[in-house]
Amino acid sequence: MKKILAILILILSFFILYFLQANFFTWFTIAGVQPNLFVLFILFVGLFAGKKLGLILGIILGFYMDVIIGRQIGISGIMLGIIGLIGEYLDKNFSKESRVTIMLMLAGCTIIYEVGCYVFNVITLSVNIEVLYFIRILCIEVIYNLILVIVLYPLLQKLGHVLEETFKTKNILTRYF
Amino acid sequence: MYKNKKKGIVGIIVTVLILILLVVFTNSNVDQMSYIENIANIFVMPIQNGITYLKNKLSGNDAFFADMDTLKAENEELKQKNSELEQSLRELEIIKAENETLKEYVNLKDKYSDYTTIPADVINRDISNYSSTIIINVGSDDGIKEEMTVIADSGLVGHVISVTPTTAKVQTIVDTATAVTSTISTTDDTIVVQGTLEDKTTLRATFIPTDAIVLQGDSVETSGIGGIYPKGIHIGTIKEVVNTSNITDRYAIVETAVDFTKLNTVLVITNDA
Repeated sequence: MKKILAILILILSFFILYFLQANFFTWFTIAGVQPNLFVLFILFVGLFAGKKLGLILGIILGFYMDVIIGRQIGISGIMLGIIGLIGEYLDKNFSKESRVTIMLMLAGCTIIYEVGCYVFNVITLSVNIEVLYFIRILCIEVIYNLILVIVLYPLLQKLGHVLEETFKTKNILTRYF
Repeated sequence: MYKNKKKGIVGIIVTVLILILLVVFTNSNVDQMSYIENIANIFVMPIQNGITYLKNKLSGNDAFFADMDTLKAENEELKQKNSELEQSLRELEIIKAENETLKEYVNLKDKYSDYTTIPADVINRDISNYSSTIIINVGSDDGIKEEMTVIADSGLVGHVISVTPTTAKVQTIVDTATAVTSTISTTDDTIVVQGTLEDKTTLRATFIPTDAIVLQGDSVETSGIGGIYPKGIHIGTIKEVVNTSNITDRYAIVETAVDFTKLNTVLVITNDA
């Protein structure tokens, strides 16, 4: 019951993030570049609620995003699913209690997500390859995401612990025995 | 040992599933998924519509708070501009009349002189930094179909890639996946303009004929080749010609006539061209 409620709240917060991204962050940009709230969101779910939920939510919500606004169906779903999976492995190997590790994780995940999507687009839509401009946009996007995570870190930490208690109570014990 | 084996199997299953999904999804285009899109839109678009309405209201009220001095200056400027425009309008009238008579001489039918258009509001912009699609608030209920041309007051915007009963997804010309065959209006040379990542207001013109003389400030229009865009829609002006060591390689930067960052209302051309 608690888990279902948590999942519903997560889905609701995805929609809130979507409206934030589509309305506020299309205007509040750094040099015309928007942050990517969805990578942050799915990484957060993967880190605190485990890979199962991270993968499933990532695929479903990414697919949903593609259907609404994308040029091609599927790639966001696959890449966000991968981010959800990565979240679990990062959780096993690194501490979530430090701001710096979360920042590094987010930077890595943003790069993986955007490079994956770009390569896919280059292959399927025969987009011209513009490496320099791509890297420039990617750098600004990563920096923007990092600024967001610095600001939001206390909130993420608190919500994350609530999420972890709901989903991972048994796993925490097994890890140490 | 047992645990590791189990994990390996799960990993393999997940990988296979992802690969199958990849194959299935990449083989289906956006346009074949309109029923799913319709369901997906139900959750987002009504709210998005409301937010856009509010936003437009708010930005409209901004002018109310502007101070008198700027208004006066703006008024002066506009008056001057108006007189200039009136003058050019008169010149245009003369040219138009001349054009009509000349056309009568050569028996040319003006096929694209009047388009029937449907006005629409932009209700959603792209959430990614690497693509540029917009969603407008008209759909198949209003007679919108795929591959219809979308224009704004100053020039070409893009074409419709998928429709639902109440919304339509438009791929703009500044999207990196778009290439529009166009002509330079002064010389009639055919070029291809493509969107770039570099800037959301410029396009890159390639395949310029080696003997073509391209000048800064030349106007670029759609050529009608390719079947999506009708002929003669203004795209923009040439901002810069970049010469490379090989003349077949040279390209030009085209500045779009439409300001895509401030695009709020568009027109969809509904009669088949």
